[in-house]
Amino acid sequence: MNKKNINLLLLFFLSLLIIACDSKQSTTNNRIVIGISADVQTFSSLFAFSYEESAIADLLYPGLLDFRWNSERGELDPYPMIVQSWRWSEDSSYIKFYLRDDIFWSDGIKLTSEDVVFSYDVFSDPDVQSRLLGTFNQLYSDSDGHIDIEKAFKVISPNEFEIHFVENSVADLVKLSIPIIPEHIYSEISRDQIANSEINFNPVSSGPFKLKKWNRNQTITLEADSNSFLFTSGQAAELIFKVVPDYTSRILQLRKGDIDFVELVKVEDIEDLKAEDKLSVISIVGREYDYIGWNNIDPESFSQGKIIPNKFFGSNNVRKALTMSIDRKAIHNEYLLGQGELAVSPVSRIFKLAFNMEVKPYEYDPEEAKKLLAQDGWKDEDRNGILEKGNEEFKFKMYYPVGNPLREYASVVIKNNLKSVGIEVSIEKMELGTFIDNLYDRKLNSWMAAWGVPIPLELKPFWYSDPNIGMLNFACYGNSEVDKILNQLNKRINNERKNELVKQFQVIIHQDEPVSFLYWTPNIIAYNKRIKNLNITPYGVLVHCWEWTLNE
Amino acid sequence: MNRVLRSQFVKTIFIRLLSSLLTLFLLVSFLFFIIRLSPGDPTDKYVSAKLGSELSERIAEKFSLNQPVADQYFAFVSNIFKGDLGVSYNYRLSVFEVIWEYFSFTLIFASISFIIQISLSILLAIRVVRKQNKRIEQISTNLSLFVYSIPAFVLGVTLIYIFSVHLNLLPISGLKSLDHDELSFFPRIFDQLYHLILPLITLSVGGVALFYKYIKESMDEIKNHTFVANLRATGLDENLILRKHILPNAIRPLISVAGVELGIILGGTLITEVIFSLPGMGRLAIDSILSRDYPLVIGCVFTAGTVMIFANFLADLAKLKIDKRMIKGILN
Repeated sequence: MNKKNINLLLLFFLSLLIIACDSKQSTTNNRIVIGISADVQTFSSLFAFSYEESAIADLLYPGLLDFRWNSERGELDPYPMIVQSWRWSEDSSYIKFYLRDDIFWSDGIKLTSEDVVFSYDVFSDPDVQSRLLGTFNQLYSDSDGHIDIEKAFKVISPNEFEIHFVENSVADLVKLSIPIIPEHIYSEISRDQIANSEINFNPVSSGPFKLKKWNRNQTITLEADSNSFLFTSGQAAELIFKVVPDYTSRILQLRKGDIDFVELVKVEDIEDLKAEDKLSVISIVGREYDYIGWNNIDPESFSQGKIIPNKFFGSNNVRKALTMSIDRKAIHNEYLLGQGELAVSPVSRIFKLAFNMEVKPYEYDPEEAKKLLAQDGWKDEDRNGILEKGNEEFKFKMYYPVGNPLREYASVVIKNNLKSVGIEVSIEKMELGTFIDNLYDRKLNSWMAAWGVPIPLELKPFWYSDPNIGMLNFACYGNSEVDKILNQLNKRINNERKNELVKQFQVIIHQDEPVSFLYWTPNIIAYNKRIKNLNITPYGVLVHCWEWTLNE
Repeated sequence: MNRVLRSQFVKTIFIRLLSSLLTLFLLVSFLFFIIRLSPGDPTDKYVSAKLGSELSERIAEKFSLNQPVADQYFAFVSNIFKGDLGVSYNYRLSVFEVIWEYFSFTLIFASISFIIQISLSILLAIRVVRKQNKRIEQISTNLSLFVYSIPAFVLGVTLIYIFSVHLNLLPISGLKSLDHDELSFFPRIFDQLYHLILPLITLSVGGVALFYKYIKESMDEIKNHTFVANLRATGLDENLILRKHILPNAIRPLISVAGVELGIILGGTLITEVIFSLPGMGRLAIDSILSRDYPLVIGCVFTAGTVMIFANFLADLAKLKIDKRMIKGILN
């Protein structure tokens, strides 16, 4: 290579270095960079299906009310958001809301009661197919779920309106508080075309941040909207969501300072990240648990419309024995390094007043498990190491979806644990879509998966015996006592009674052990210490992030 | 090229183009049935547990998924003839619009990498052949094999670790810095190049090693042909023989491989895109498969198939340009 070429090459690298030095200043600015694994496909609150989409949409479109996690009671407390106050009618049949007078859309138009009513109309319209379609059963609606606006709303003035509830329904403020969208923008678009509209990418918002720019699959930049009623002088000037699909790369960027905030950190990285002076690590327990599903009924008979108890898992003695045979503590300690905790029921400890402390997890006890199995007729009479009942050997397949290292690790432990009590399990991985299809069709005998627990707590879709109501009751668990409790929970009762019922529910579930509850997995968050005033609760990580401030 | 040969050439090229289109059509048709027959439902994410079956059906209707597969196929075929690949379920935009956004990046990124791969491998091969040093040749051959066998994710992460984390010289990921839009024109270009250095190295290193091996072996073989000895005997300069006579002959086998390689990288470079968070076709294709965005999956395969056919066609034309004797081969 001649001298001229070498000089040119040096010049090129020098230019790059200058840019490198320049770009390093970016993180010192008044901005927070949040690492996310996938890009969004919309900014519309109507179609914000993914976690990232709903986190961003919530910042752009505040709802009627604000909710804050009360960690002492384990409940959400309502606070004013776009309404400054509200008043229940004496018979609790309606609520009168008083809107704030200082809310403007990012295009300068004032937000009024008409926007609120219009938002309910659009969110519930089947032609729009919003993410909340079918969830407005507390309001007067048509058979297709579309809210009857005439009956459900009464607009008194631009700042006052009433919402009327269906007789005897339970008015749930959390469900009621939907994000409000601008009528003057959306009314111009035909309802069935809203999903394909340009507005989904250029939102006119009313939140503390507004969209500044979107580089697809790279960054989403929100800037503080100084005209917003939620704007505070201390909030970050920009909130940047940086799309980094590779986990290792996200962590490296966090350590380097290119990213300020990362969720779902792996437990094995906690110590290394804690050792970094500039980083803080928080572990939140409680909204997702892993479990092994045992189909309580026979899948083949179910496909023919008959309900027959499952030959292996139909008895609660057997299911209890299966739980006792699995060393959940070992998996929890070795893989999760003690983060999170063992699960006893689908009710998390975070719901403090509803959580039943007296229900304790089954201990790992293979001998007791063998006794329970023997009581149910499962004995190894031919001494081949596998239990049998009549001509049936205790052998089955357990499925789990691909791509989860924790379940991969746990499956090996579970297989060995069950082998030691005389049960032979073959482990099969399944593609996620196929796995979900099979669960909905109740085709699987046994599987390993996880459930996220909604806030406020909701149990009926997961544990009600009628499959049309308990659509997510994949284990086909049925107990009339539990059904009765779940029905009562959907009635107008006070919180104390509600908590009492949830405690009773946990006792019955623990006795029946419809599935083997494994452990609550933690959400570990790591962030740069320059971010202050974070209030991270089980309710959400990015909610109220406009209250975050930055160290100079 | 005489007139008869030329008309036959044009005719054959035309037939070849037609057969390529037919291949492409068969490919997307096959894919259409495979993904519709595979388990999983693209409407899953829209269906809440509280939604009744009637509403679920309405959602399926909106996506035309409640029609028989055969009807869906005929609609799909008629749309293809109208040049319409449909609307992406996830992006709610036309498939062409979505693909163009990602393909434009892949086109630039893959083209730069391809140019680097070809030029660097030729330069290296010429250097090594010119040296005529057995030891260097052996080391370079072994080194090329070693480099070729390094998986892209290992190389990418290693490069990030050295140049981004330890030396703090280059960015870890992304296509531009956060302040990119505030830069003037030339710094913007430099900013993007600066972000592309590590991804380009990761993507190109394997190709350089592969092409180097092809050219080197081919040059070694041609070097010993009698026509080269004759040229030497006429007293021609060794460099001239190498550049004008050995290299054009040696490059022929490379062109076919290069055509395939170009097609592959234009179709998407998934691992490099994921490690460095680049918005390319590979990530788009995988995301669309995982979310069962049928129109987009077909669009991605259609694009990858088209570029593969086009790249091979280009390779044939390049071969022709280098060696006219090959017209017959192509016509056959």
